[in-house]
Amino acid sequence: MNVELSELTRRFGRTEAVAGVDLEAGPGVLGLLGPNGAGKTSLLRMMATVLPPSSGTMRLLGRDPGSFGPRREIRRGLGYLPQNLGYYPGFTVAEFVEYFALLKDMPPRQVPRAVAAAIEHVGMGDKARKKLRTLSGGMLRRVGIAQAIVNEPELLLLDEPTAGLDPEQRVAFRTLLREFGQRATVIVSTHLVEDVAAACSEVTLMDAGKIVFHGTPGELIAAGTGHGVGDAPLERGYTAVLAAARS
Amino acid sequence: MTSGHDMTDEYGSRPGHGPGPQDVDLDRVWTGVAAEVWLRRPGPVERLAGRLLRSPGLARALLTTPSLLLGWVIASAVVLGTGALVTLRTGTPLVALLAPALAGAGIAYAYGPGIDPAWELSQSMAIGDRMVLLVRALAVFGLNAILGLVASAASGAAAAVTFGWLVPMTAVCALALAAATVGRSANVGVLVGLTGWLITVLSARTVTGQFSAALTSTTLTVPYLIFAACCAAIALYATRIPGGTS
Repeated sequence: MNVELSELTRRFGRTEAVAGVDLEAGPGVLGLLGPNGAGKTSLLRMMATVLPPSSGTMRLLGRDPGSFGPRREIRRGLGYLPQNLGYYPGFTVAEFVEYFALLKDMPPRQVPRAVAAAIEHVGMGDKARKKLRTLSGGMLRRVGIAQAIVNEPELLLLDEPTAGLDPEQRVAFRTLLREFGQRATVIVSTHLVEDVAAACSEVTLMDAGKIVFHGTPGELIAAGTGHGVGDAPLERGYTAVLAAARS
Repeated sequence: MTSGHDMTDEYGSRPGHGPGPQDVDLDRVWTGVAAEVWLRRPGPVERLAGRLLRSPGLARALLTTPSLLLGWVIASAVVLGTGALVTLRTGTPLVALLAPALAGAGIAYAYGPGIDPAWELSQSMAIGDRMVLLVRALAVFGLNAILGLVASAASGAAAAVTFGWLVPMTAVCALALAAATVGRSANVGVLVGLTGWLITVLSARTVTGQFSAALTSTTLTVPYLIFAACCAAIALYATRIPGGTS
């Protein structure tokens, strides 16, 4: 298992953003669904080793992120796209991706080829030498994905990766997700249930800091059969599970 | 976005590119060409920093320091140059009084949320943000010390004043760094550093009647160093890598 979380909790003052989450994930694509404020981003940030948990245990890529050496090893095998991607406006696409490849401690000789492959993977080859300040929001999102995958991560954490992507780009992105899911653990936080239906082998639904559903997209669809509100089967499952959790 | 090899035809070539030899992976060839075309050639400073730090990533992070960008360095040089002229004409040790404040502001603006656009992302990197902060802070301190010494020497100040501000500068920098890291804001760091230095200068003047007392009084050396060490410890604690409970 690349991700093993047990009773993981994160508090901000009196607010419990993540409340005793147990989760295990191996290779494959796991969709993390939930309403705003459900705790998805806090959970992803803890798995990205950016935010320490308040309590509970966490093992990532078979290592304990609580100590320096293992955490560094985890980070070498980690790809992370935060919800708000900060960027250097004066950097080109290639420079930005290269910067994070270097900070991920990749061997310098491998960096140029890895950067080129990652940029091509997200279809930004024709913009590789453009300054980031000249790009649209969707293009910046793709650059963010490129830096996340540049080191061929074993654990890929993506927070709202399809925000700003047009339908064609989203379809291509789902292909990329499935491709990475064959060899790595990919965890995608999203509001878009169609992304989950198309690309994820497993889905976890969070509400109020807790996991209220974990299973396959098919099982979530089955949970909404006959009740629930929504246009698509997965939406009906989503709303039915949330309603049951809140009742 | 592309998906690896599924765009190639039975000849192993991209659609529209014509047939190619079957044993040539054109995607791989193109990636090699793109890697060469897009390759950024590091400048001499970055190459030197990479060798000294034994890490190209750390060297690149150093050269993106906001307070080491050319505009900031030029502004610092202009301020210190003006201070040197004023010192030459009036005898007031303006360079020595300005240097700690400038260095403190530079340190506060070296790294942190709001200053580094990719701060969140940087925190998940194998090269830790504390190491980046340490390297950037040392570089900013070193550059400001050199600029200050040059300006101080040019202003013709007495030796006690020329070198006297180095110890207070260390304390002001440490204070600004501690405040910036605890407050998670460069502006807080600048404000606290400058206020601390102003209070020290005015207090020393009130006691001795001299503006330069905060710089030249040897009795303050040990308190400055102890204070700097305490602030450095606070900064280290505030930037400790979160261990969590795992």
